[in-house]
Amino acid sequence: MVKKKLMTLLTAVTALFLMAVGGASASADKPNYVISTDATYAPFDFQNKNNQYVGIDLDILKEIAKREGFTYTLKPMDFSSAAQMVANGQADGIIAGMAITDERKNGPVYDVSDPYYQTGVAWITKKGSKIKSLDDLRGKTVALKTGTAAANYGQSLQAKYGFKIKTFKDTDTMYSDVENGNSAATFEDMPVIQYAIKNGRQLEIKNPNNLGNAGGCGFFVQKGKNAALLAAFNKGLKEIKADGTYQKIVDKYLNSKQEDFVGSRADNNSVWGILKTNKQAFWDGMVETLYLTVLAIVLASLWGLLLGVMGISQKLWIRGLSTTIIYIFRGLPLMVLAFFIYIGLPGAIGTKIPATTAGLLTLILNEGAYTGAFVRGGFEAVDAGQMEAARSLGLSRGQSLRKVVIPQGLKIMVPSFVNQFIITLKDTSILSAIGLLELTQTGTLIVARNSQGFRVWAIIAVIYLIIITLLTWLSNWLKKRLR
Amino acid sequence: MSEEKQVKVHVDKVNKSYGDNHVLRDISLDVNQNEVVVMIGPSGSGKSTFLRMLNQLEKPDSGVIQVDKYDISDPKTDINKVRENIGMVFQNFNLFNNYTVLENITLAPVQLGKMSKEEAKKKAHELLEMVGLPDKADVSVNSLSGGQKQRIAIARALAMNPDVMLFDEPTSALDPEVVGDVLDVMKNLAQSGMTMIIVTHEMGFAKQVADRVVFFESGKIQESGSPEQIFNAPKNARLQSFLSKVMEA
Repeated sequence: MVKKKLMTLLTAVTALFLMAVGGASASADKPNYVISTDATYAPFDFQNKNNQYVGIDLDILKEIAKREGFTYTLKPMDFSSAAQMVANGQADGIIAGMAITDERKNGPVYDVSDPYYQTGVAWITKKGSKIKSLDDLRGKTVALKTGTAAANYGQSLQAKYGFKIKTFKDTDTMYSDVENGNSAATFEDMPVIQYAIKNGRQLEIKNPNNLGNAGGCGFFVQKGKNAALLAAFNKGLKEIKADGTYQKIVDKYLNSKQEDFVGSRADNNSVWGILKTNKQAFWDGMVETLYLTVLAIVLASLWGLLLGVMGISQKLWIRGLSTTIIYIFRGLPLMVLAFFIYIGLPGAIGTKIPATTAGLLTLILNEGAYTGAFVRGGFEAVDAGQMEAARSLGLSRGQSLRKVVIPQGLKIMVPSFVNQFIITLKDTSILSAIGLLELTQTGTLIVARNSQGFRVWAIIAVIYLIIITLLTWLSNWLKKRLR
Repeated sequence: MSEEKQVKVHVDKVNKSYGDNHVLRDISLDVNQNEVVVMIGPSGSGKSTFLRMLNQLEKPDSGVIQVDKYDISDPKTDINKVRENIGMVFQNFNLFNNYTVLENITLAPVQLGKMSKEEAKKKAHELLEMVGLPDKADVSVNSLSGGQKQRIAIARALAMNPDVMLFDEPTSALDPEVVGDVLDVMKNLAQSGMTMIIVTHEMGFAKQVADRVVFFESGKIQESGSPEQIFNAPKNARLQSFLSKVMEA
């Protein structure tokens, strides 16, 4: 009886949730493409102070789409994930300052457009570093961002100069590592490092007049698919180069003042200024985090309760099923699970999974497994005599569970639930890896444009603490009500 | 005692093992209506296991158990229906910790549709009066002493209007000074004509209240008979040895 009711409830909630999340569909007669990009690669791709994604890449794409008559949905995330999205068909194309290497051009994964930007690789140390030449890097650590042309260039020099390599997923963390002195140097595309230095990064370009050749940047689609999109991009690119629009876009980003994108200096060098300039972004990030947390808490608790009830079933196979599910999803790191569902699964089942759905599913499966384990433990902690007494009065097993064992078990579990709620809130931050615009990802994006890591992350930390405090109060209030 | 006796509980050749431990060997026993049977014997002799089999908290490996003409060793029998007529009182009381005293007593009759809420409450107050705790209806069970808990547990079992009451060492977990309160309630119950099967170490109580005393040892009924016969003229050597040990205490 209990199981049946729980099952019905869970099905209903899941159905509602899928309708809410998966219901969006395109309507226009123009073709609509999903294009992934790097969220933090200024000046190619970044979020400006109005929270719009802009940059050389994105302005070019916008212009070409307008001229060639297609629309697109932009998916900003970290570079490796963005590239993966195209490789497995979750996205139709990627534009992210992505270098046209031989491997990518001739490999089995991508088709590539004509080069739209000729890049040059700079090597960089922190300001005032004693390192003068590449020879000084012997035995030292060099920071590289995974998958970029600059990283490939850096790797090609490793054997000759004998440095160690440490890889990063986003540019800003990589810069900080060099500024802190953890890494001695880094390699990066010239416009990208110039943007960062204008933004106040304490870094120094060592070879401004002698840039490394890393080839051009291209727009990539999945191999053998989306030929129409690729053709449209190439055609549009020719047109905007011919009529000067292209040069205008590039000049806009390379020659204009930083304030145009990130706001004035006053807006960025105080906590108050950063809060004021980015209040909408912080607010949206917090709302998304709360939304994920609340939905995940409710659904994971229901799923966990079901797993817990299954775990005390009299039928061996039901107990076994519960144990197996808990074993698998408690054992998998949250991020692996998120990548598996968001990036891996769609390739296997042939359906796109929206990031929010994938993120929630990840949280439900992971937090639900932990919940299931302590729910089962809570039920088992109720003295067996309680069940015997209820059964000896003639109550069925279901009635005994519902009226006697489960209420007492739930009381035992209350502290574990509160603990799990707080863990769930914190775990939502891991979903920034699949591009969900929650608080942590919001922080990453703001730092990417204003390079104010210390202040921005302090603000984000305080917001998390405020939410956790509220959540704790709410839990304590619930605890009292249950007494 | 001139009218014909009606058999209430019929047990025939019941066996039970836990692994290599053969705890019950070919036990047969009939209990008549209105009869009070007290089971005595050393710890581990199988008497509690036997008692718990009568309402299927333990299942026999072989043999027949009939209660009220229901064959409870038959898997097709609805055991919940049979249990409604068998009250059970446990050594550790097992009151429901999530309910008040009154709710403990009314839960089963209301849940099983035996009585309306109002009827069940009325009955509960009568029972509380009977066990001498009329003012405890609305307190939490955790605030009661052991003796009070056991008397509430008896009231809870009686609320279902059972034909048979099983007592599994009802006074073993109690402080000596409150044992009397519980035994008094049981004596009154016996006098009212309830069919009772009791596992206990209270020999004085057995002498006073039992119609029949059954001595368990090594998973067997070694001897049974009237209290006079068992306590004053025991034949079985193991019974003699057991009595000499418990009586000198």
